[in-house]
This record gives sequence, C-alpha cells and structure tokens, in this order.
Amino acid sequence: MDYMDMDTGDNEPAINVRDSNDLNVNFILRNVDLSLANSLRRVVQSEVPTMAIDLVEIESNTSVLPDEFIAHRLGLIPLTSGNIEKVQYSRDCDCDDYCEKCSVTLSLDARCTDERSNMHLYSRDFMVSNRADLSVGNPVIRDPQGKGILIAKLRKGQEIKMKCIAKKGIAKEHAKWMPTAAVGFEYDPNNLLRHLDLWYEENAKEEWPVSENGKLEPTQEEQEVFDFDATPNRFYVNLETVGGVEADRCFQQGITVLQNKLADIISALSPELANNNPVDDYQPRSPGAGGDDYGNGTSYGGGFSTHGPGAQSSYGGQRTEYAGMTSYGGNY
Amino acid sequence: MSNAPPRHELFLLDEGQDKVEVKMDTRVPNTAVFTFNREDHTLGNLLTAHLHKYKDVTFAAYKVEHPLKPLFILRVGTDGGISPKDAVVRCCSDIITTLDKVSREFTKEMELFKIARGGESNGV
Repeated sequence: MDYMDMDTGDNEPAINVRDSNDLNVNFILRNVDLSLANSLRRVVQSEVPTMAIDLVEIESNTSVLPDEFIAHRLGLIPLTSGNIEKVQYSRDCDCDDYCEKCSVTLSLDARCTDERSNMHLYSRDFMVSNRADLSVGNPVIRDPQGKGILIAKLRKGQEIKMKCIAKKGIAKEHAKWMPTAAVGFEYDPNNLLRHLDLWYEENAKEEWPVSENGKLEPTQEEQEVFDFDATPNRFYVNLETVGGVEADRCFQQGITVLQNKLADIISALSPELANNNPVDDYQPRSPGAGGDDYGNGTSYGGGFSTHGPGAQSSYGGQRTEYAGMTSYGGNY
Repeated sequence: MSNAPPRHELFLLDEGQDKVEVKMDTRVPNTAVFTFNREDHTLGNLLTAHLHKYKDVTFAAYKVEHPLKPLFILRVGTDGGISPKDAVVRCCSDIITTLDKVSREFTKEMELFKIARGGESNGV
C-alpha cells in the first residue's frame, strides 16, 4: 500500500481499524484536527463513566491489613461497566444514600479455618447484588485460572467481612474510574512538522528510533522543502481498556461524552441568543466559591462524605467503623 | 487536612452557577470574553483551534488561569460578519457534526474489520 494514496480523496474524517479485540483497539484516524483527536483522547481517558467501589462498610477485619488499605485496594478493582447507562449517578438519584438504581453492592465474607495454609481472597469471591442490570458491576476477571485480583491473604482465625458499594463515576474525580489503561497517541512519526526538537548526544537520527508508523509516511529525506502550512492529519491511536468496557465501545462513549459537552455549551449560549442579551455579571470564580457546604451531601453524594479530597473517596462514609473524613482525611 | 479543592468541583457546577458566562469587550469591537466553568483544555483547545478556521473570526485564544481553577477563559474576536457568541455556537455544532461522522466511520470500519477477521479465521 502506498502511503500517499491514503491521504487523497475527500476530506471527511476517516478511520482505518488495524487491530481490535475486547481489550484493545488500534486505528488510524484521518482528516480531523489535532485538537479534535486530542480532545477525544482526553475525554476517553478521563470522562467516560465506569463503575468502581466507592464506599466500604467494614463489619469485621481481623486480617493483618488495615481497613483503609483494603478499602483503597477494593476501589481500584475494575468492574464491568458495559451497560453503564442503565445505572444512575448517585447524586442524581432520588434515594437517600444509594439504591439498586445508582449502585451495585459487592459483599466479601471470608474466614480462614485452615491450619496449614493461608487463605487467598480474590475478586471472584465477591457476592454481587442489588443492581439495575446484571452486566454491570461484576469484577473483571481475565486470568486463566479465573481468580481475579488478589485482595488479601488470611491466616487461620482471621476474617474479613465487608460490604462494598460500587457507584458510577468518572476519572476526573478519581483515577479508579478510568476505563482505559494505556492510550497510545502518535502523529507525524517522522517529525516532518518539526513539532519535536529532538535532544541528541551526537546524531538525533541514530539515537531516536522511529516507530513502526514511520514506515507509513514520507521520511525526512523524501521531504523536499519544509511545508510551513502543513498540519497533522493522521493519528495513530491504540486504545487499551482495563476490561470494564470493550475498547471500541469505550471510544464510542468518548465521542458521545464530547458531543454532550458541546451540546451543553450550545444550550447554555443559545437561550441568550434569542433575546440578544449577553450575561453581564462576568466574574471569574474560584473553585471554592459556594462549594464549601458540599460535604453535607445534600446535592451530591447522599449524606456520605464520599467525595472528599484524596484517597478517602474509596472508603469515606459515616456508617463504617472508622468515621470517614475526620479520622483519615489529612494523612494522604 | 489537605486544602485541595474537592474533586467533584472539576466537573459539577455549583448551585446557580452558569456553564458559560459571556462578557462583551468594551474596548475592542466584536470581541467577547467567555468563561467556561468546570471545563478544561479538552474543550478550550478544541474550540480555539476550530474557531481559527472560520474566516470571520479574527481572534480566538483561551487560557486556563490556574491549574487548580476548573475553568478556562476564551476570548473571541470577529470581523463583524458574525457575533462572537454565534461563532462559538456554530463552532460547537460543527464539531458535533464532525464527531457524528467520526462515530459512523468508526462503527463502519469496526464492522469491516470484524468481517475481515472472521474471513481470515475461516480460511485458516
């Protein structure tokens, strides 16, 4: 295939899927702006909603691991989020704390009785219940033995009993809600646009290996004169998910999220267009303004101090044996 | 205790807060300054780059004033052929259309890929 052929023709956005499976999709995105491709990447990584454990009610933990340590590990376990649209955000739900419409309950109940060997507690040991859709909130299990993720090890007589509440969220709030693992994003592999100024010891050409994608585009030698007006228009994307959502679906969801974002802007601006009356009270606000009373959870989070800063997000909440933010808030 | 702002403030508007605040610049004609609350480079760079493509838009730039402030400020100047606000609205709907095309193209190409791969595995 001649690389020049691929760029000819109309200037409509074009995609060429090179490889795909449920975890991974590799494609070339053509004829879109760099800003659009990059916004898609950013949105896929930080604003596609997924499920993750957000509250942990610890009934008993006599293991060697402290409560908050386990709670943090639980939060990071990927959960299936394919039909995430069937789950509501807890903050938008009518219920007081959480309910089956806006959460999934995963229970852990294990006690080691074996004298000789330790008991291993895996993510397959969750009892999943109270959910709107059966495909949402299952622990992602991808190892050949089907065990899932090792959560803790118990010696004889030790016990872990906890109820975990998984909620819908986005990675802007906490990285545990990220749908993706690595997202590869490359353009202009041969650096014809000179967006890169490569550092070198002696010779940049020898010291910086060109990626595989470099073979699909003209090389520096083939470039006769530098084109000052050239813009990148081929993007080599490799999108890998953690297993909660299929990779292609994840990308489609990213597109939808970005479209909704833009639609919000239109609806925020258009009503004023009708009577041609711009908003006059322009005042940049600090993020703290008016947000201080948030912790009461009236509007978002339903009575739990779930969304405090830092790592508490995964185990905050007044119902647990440790009292949420006050005891653990500051040290992380 | 950490004094970092709560994370939800990165994307949830405060009660009564507007998504976009518009103020016309009194010193330069056909220029407006938009404040996009609870938005970041994702939208800022996207809008700015696309506004540059319109011939009526003479100036478009955005800044995120401070990394801890979840807002960006977009300044748009036009030659009078279109109001800055209309330019932004048109820009948004144009991008939505482009994204629709990307989405359709991706769906189509994924189907083609699945067919091609299915054919290969049958051949083997």
